[in-house]
Amino acid sequence: MTFRKEVRTWLAEHLVGEFAPLVGTGGPGREHEHVELRTAWEQELGRGGWIGLGWPTDVGGRGASIEDQVTFHEEYAKAGGPARIGHMGEQLAGPTIIAFGTQEHKDRFLPGILAGTELWCQGYSEPGAGSDLAAVRTRAELRAGAWHVSGQKVWTSLAHLADWCFVIARTDPGSVRHRGLSFLLVPMDQPGVEVRPIVQLTGTSEFNEVFFDDAVTPAENVVGEPGDGWRVAMGLLAFERGISTLGQQVGFTREYDEVLALARSNGTFEAFEERLVDTWAGLQVLKHQALRTLDSDASSSTGVEANVNKLLWAPWHQKLGELAMAVAGPPSTLVSPEGLSPLQNLFLFTRSDTIYGGSSEVQRNVIAERHWKLPKDRP
Amino acid sequence: MSDLDDLRSAVRGLLTTHAPVRAQLHDDPSVWKRLTAEMGLMSLPSEGMPFSYVCAVLEETGRVLLRAPYLSSVVAAAALHQLGDTTYAPGLADGSITAALALDGRLDQVVDGAGASILLLADGDDLLVVEDFTAEPLEPMDRTRPQARVDLTRPGQRLGTSSHARNLQYVALASESVGAAQRVVELTVEHLRVREQFGRPLGSFQALRHRVADLTVAVEAATSSAWYAARAVSASPEADLPVAAPLAKAVTADAFVRVAGESIQLHGGIGFTWEHDAHLYFKRAWTTSLMHGDSRTLRRLAFQRAGQ
Ligand SMILES: Cc1cc2nc3c(=O)[nH]c(=O)nc-3n(C[C@H](O)[C@H](O)[C@H](O)COP(=O)(O)OP(=O)(O)OC[C@H]3O[C@@H](n4cnc5c(N)ncnc54)[C@H](O)[C@@H]3O)c2cc1C
Repeated sequence: MTFRKEVRTWLAEHLVGEFAPLVGTGGPGREHEHVELRTAWEQELGRGGWIGLGWPTDVGGRGASIEDQVTFHEEYAKAGGPARIGHMGEQLAGPTIIAFGTQEHKDRFLPGILAGTELWCQGYSEPGAGSDLAAVRTRAELRAGAWHVSGQKVWTSLAHLADWCFVIARTDPGSVRHRGLSFLLVPMDQPGVEVRPIVQLTGTSEFNEVFFDDAVTPAENVVGEPGDGWRVAMGLLAFERGISTLGQQVGFTREYDEVLALARSNGTFEAFEERLVDTWAGLQVLKHQALRTLDSDASSSTGVEANVNKLLWAPWHQKLGELAMAVAGPPSTLVSPEGLSPLQNLFLFTRSDTIYGGSSEVQRNVIAERHWKLPKDRP
Repeated sequence: MSDLDDLRSAVRGLLTTHAPVRAQLHDDPSVWKRLTAEMGLMSLPSEGMPFSYVCAVLEETGRVLLRAPYLSSVVAAAALHQLGDTTYAPGLADGSITAALALDGRLDQVVDGAGASILLLADGDDLLVVEDFTAEPLEPMDRTRPQARVDLTRPGQRLGTSSHARNLQYVALASESVGAAQRVVELTVEHLRVREQFGRPLGSFQALRHRVADLTVAVEAATSSAWYAARAVSASPEADLPVAAPLAKAVTADAFVRVAGESIQLHGGIGFTWEHDAHLYFKRAWTTSLMHGDSRTLRRLAFQRAGQ
């Protein structure tokens, strides 16, 4: 049986029955949907061996090739698999622990991610540290075999569901910028951690403020050396825009098809034809770009592929949201009792595509600096 | 290093030494000799090499805005090879004859028409090969890309259908544009690195750095689009190529036009002169964009061919 067939068969057999309501649910702007059932689904995926596909086999992964991982994401998206509630564990925490953690870390944390029983969140951003992550002020102090963490994180996605948070904290008092930071793994269920939801543009809340007030975690829950957290944090960001963005294409195509179908059915196709054609063309280019990035034969690797890709897809996605509203016309300004339609949600949520995971401006800075090595900007 | 990379760097080495941009303003038969007799670049199609090899060469010829009729001739050679021709193949392969293309059916402006031994002419869906014609050179704004007015002395002979040849021409133009556009961005960045104003290099101003980043994104996207179309020539000539080819021509021509215009702006006054090469790239970009199908029409064609 080909890998594609295996994935397809498994999904056809498992994304049914109690899990049937999950088809097409969750995701940006819709993370509140079916939280418990999606958690159960994550565990179902874990039992099927579908979490950590690309992880090495010696840590419990499947060591799947990039092609197979792409195939999985494509088939998953085609089957309408719900947004993965465990993605921050699988895509961020896990790979970081594999790359930088000790054997004890791997033994302790990877099984929970692979089984879908422990969910993670990312504690990077703070009120004073957004694009300028090195400005973090959350501090941690090692006392009597435990780190004591105090400070505030913000925009922490899914913190309200997470069991663990990876936190960048300043562990050398008096240190500045990139030095003196540590990458800590902190349990969320404790008196020293308070999570307050923030209502976002879509009216839903999937990110939060997280307050640490003398929260504790055992001394061994530091990944990398204490004080060497910046290196680990940056290593993690490299995983952030990895393989999973490939399933993205399938989702984009589905969204585009919906907009096109709407234009055909409500008589606006002619009025919007040029934008519909251009947006379709842009989608093809996104696909070609993703394929070329993956193809090792393609010459001239720039080293900033991830930055280029983000600057291509995020604005494209935003424009698609705007086009969806234009095609829907005045009714798109009304909210039905069931809440936002998928296209309204697309329109609103895509405003964040150019902000999170490195804003468009930050991506441009990186391309100018790392690829072209243009002389540093001075005020 | 892959074979493709080897090919690229060999062609780049030759062109940088013997045919830099400035040399493209006048005919120089020795360049054609080097490309053909010395490097055998015209025999890639008849040797059955994938079209992506031809495209790799075209990216290089694009970087220097090659004047010699490689694009026209190699597209003709590939189209004829696919149709099983044996009459013209040997001459094209060894470079002893060259070809011109009139695949949009227009004879009043034929690129590389003067000096060509054969003309591939599209007459609706038919592809004709013409041997007997006269060509009167025209004065092109882009002096690196000769054009001529062609008159047929005797009608051509039907070889097959024209659509594949046209798709190959789109892909070829896309690859050439990508090479040229990449080069334009490199030249622009180099200028921003060395030119100082307000006591600092221009490249340290974020407003300009961001523009360079945006140009990089446009060129990377164009490169992907051309890369995909070039692969489709062998991988999926029936299904994918008819969509990917016109799309690639549109995407790359748009990117080339954009970076060439921005390049003049970011060079300032020097970019507006004939002393600098920026104007040559600018004129080639617009020539490519204005000829062989405009971008809007081509995107629409691709959209329809994709069954959208
Ligand atoms: C939906 C969503 C989910 C998120 N989830 C998480 C999460 O789970 N965990 C987490 O840690 N963070 C998360 N974030 C936070 C995200 O990483 C930050 O919002 C982002 O890094 C930008 O920081 P900021 O919001 O402080 O904006 P700022 O850094 O204040 O930026 C404001 C504006 O200034 C621009 N700017 C900033 N610096 C420069 C510069 N040097 N040059 C030019 N322009 C500049 C920015 O591009 C932006 O347009 C999330 C954000 C969003 C929107």
